[in-house]
Amino acid sequence: MSLFERLQPTIANTLKVPTAQVTPTTRDEDLPAWDSLGQVNLIVALEQTFGIYIEVEDFEKLKSVPAILDYLAAQNVA
Amino acid sequence: MATAQPRFDDILRASSRDALQDALWRSTTPLTLPQAEQVRAHALTIGPGPQPLRLGVVHTYTSELLEPWIAFQAACEGFELQAYHAPYGLAMNEAQPGSKLVAFKPDISLLMLRREDLHPDLLASIVNLGAERLAALREQSLARLREIVGAFRAHPVGQIVITLLPSPLPATLGQYDLQSGTSEAQWWLRLKTKFTCWLREHCPASTFIDLDEIAARIGQQAFFDPRYWYSARYPFSAPAAAEFARRIAVVGVLLKQPRAKVLVLDADNTLWGGIVGEDGFDGIAIGPDYPGNAYLDFQRRLLDFQQRGIVLAMCSKNNLADVDQVLNDHTHQLLRDGHFAARRVNWIPKAENLRSLAEELNLGLDSFIVVDDSDHECAAVRHALPQVQVVQVPSRAVDVPGCLDRVARLEVLSLTKEDLAKTEMYAQERQRRQIMEAGEQRGSGDYLSRLQMKMRIGVDPLPHLARLSQLTKKTNQFNLTTRRYDEQQVRGFMDDANTLVLDFSLADTFGDSGIVGLAIWRQQGTRAELDTFLMSCRVIGRLAETAFLEAGLRLLAARHVTELVADFLPTAKNDLVREFLPQHRFTLGADGRYQRRLADEPPAPADRFPIEVVLDAPAPPAPTAPGALGS
Repeated sequence: MSLFERLQPTIANTLKVPTAQVTPTTRDEDLPAWDSLGQVNLIVALEQTFGIYIEVEDFEKLKSVPAILDYLAAQNVA
Repeated sequence: MATAQPRFDDILRASSRDALQDALWRSTTPLTLPQAEQVRAHALTIGPGPQPLRLGVVHTYTSELLEPWIAFQAACEGFELQAYHAPYGLAMNEAQPGSKLVAFKPDISLLMLRREDLHPDLLASIVNLGAERLAALREQSLARLREIVGAFRAHPVGQIVITLLPSPLPATLGQYDLQSGTSEAQWWLRLKTKFTCWLREHCPASTFIDLDEIAARIGQQAFFDPRYWYSARYPFSAPAAAEFARRIAVVGVLLKQPRAKVLVLDADNTLWGGIVGEDGFDGIAIGPDYPGNAYLDFQRRLLDFQQRGIVLAMCSKNNLADVDQVLNDHTHQLLRDGHFAARRVNWIPKAENLRSLAEELNLGLDSFIVVDDSDHECAAVRHALPQVQVVQVPSRAVDVPGCLDRVARLEVLSLTKEDLAKTEMYAQERQRRQIMEAGEQRGSGDYLSRLQMKMRIGVDPLPHLARLSQLTKKTNQFNLTTRRYDEQQVRGFMDDANTLVLDFSLADTFGDSGIVGLAIWRQQGTRAELDTFLMSCRVIGRLAETAFLEAGLRLLAARHVTELVADFLPTAKNDLVREFLPQHRFTLGADGRYQRRLADEPPAPADRFPIEVVLDAPAPPAPTAPGALGS
């Protein structure tokens, strides 16, 4: 399973949107549910799904699928 | 027995809410938020369909991120959460008619407050304020808290749940806090104690959830997540959010689901480790050493639940003599025969035993929680009696003592004197039954006189209004007419000189029943009609109903009544009293009503019954103009 395939349901479940609405290029402004609250919820979900700890400085950077994928890769999440 | 560690997939396969809760509890790794979402979605598909739970939230820090956790915990308890979050801040404008919160019609209104909302001085350290200022500050903070809660309580916003967020920082003086003489922890504890005392006595339908207690349980450091707190004003780590949310779901359960009244316990591998029929009296595990110490703690816990007004019963497939020997003679056993309101120890299917227990205790099966270690028995009871909640005892002894702590229905929102006395009353009833059965076996009929019963009859007893209204609403079986009256109506009867309201309580060598019977007579001249005659089933079989009726007739005779008229209005539940009137010398007239002429059938004298009758108040004077209101 690719990283995106694992990320997609995580985002969709957390923001309560259909899975298909989350694509490899989706970013916060594409989804109304991805607001500042949705962002914190997503951070919690990412930490727990991928078993990582995200520093508070990185919260603001993770606002698109490509950014999250890059971040996960940099954290050595396979 | 339940296997120790379910996989996440097993949780998602649970086919009943009981099984789902069992599986969740046995899973030692906390769920992640995405997993909680999946479980929520699954839980909502398990029948019977979920009830809505409407939650309004007023919050001075971020509350929305808690919602997925509340929705998850609510779904596990059979609720579909509907939430309304007031705008951020202490939205006192929600406490007025027509506000969005009031219009939302919440079942629960959750107030998520910070400490500094109570007083601006609480933003800084309070240790140097001096005793006088500290006391004044507490009074001001309390007044503010009462003002906030009172403002919401004045409107229909459901049960109010109040929380105060602990400080994410340790005490000003660190580990010296408690020793310092100006302890902040102590100051807050006294504030909370005074506040909850006010809630208990003056603020109905309100609950304080102590976040300090949750933080202590989870660990202060594990409770807060400083990243979310400082970046998003949201304090809770995932475990803190899950536990806080669970407490809110508990309140929902206590408000909206049938109240649990009885814990029905299996014996082997539940009250003790091992099987007494196979391992023998000396082979079972109960006592100071592992694993018996875990079962001992479980027994202690069961006695705790008794203190919450829950009655204990036993249902075990076993030889009665084996179980009796353990209850009576085992040195380490905490639970003895007298702790159980009723027992079924035999080889009959459990569902059948549960039905007969419900009959004996006079309680609905939906008030039963069955606790059993066997996969088979749990499944069989769930199948045969879906209204009964089933909790499976964990297979590992170390998990047993806490296995009922997660059961929401075993929590309470309040405790009354009646709740606390309940176990005692059932125990008294069992002792009476035993004396009676022993008497029957010996063929001696002196059982009733040995009880030394004393009946206290109240005449228009104003202080009993609430209880009498409750009796008309709750009594289904021993009730001639099943007329339901609210307190206002009962009061109207008492105030009316032509209506006689009589009630009674019954004391005997084992204890006092409290108010258990009611008669309402409407007098019209020399004729009196029996509007209501009812009795709690708790005192059936002691001639109390007859003694009470005849005592009432003596009072009526003193008020110049000569003719009695009464009705039996059959319902699905009152067959018990079908023959009551003919048995008491009433005859069925051509008009379908029962009659008794006191000239022909005078009231029986008091000494006819093995009950000493005491009148609590003198009978009110008879209506001044007999016959004036005659029909």
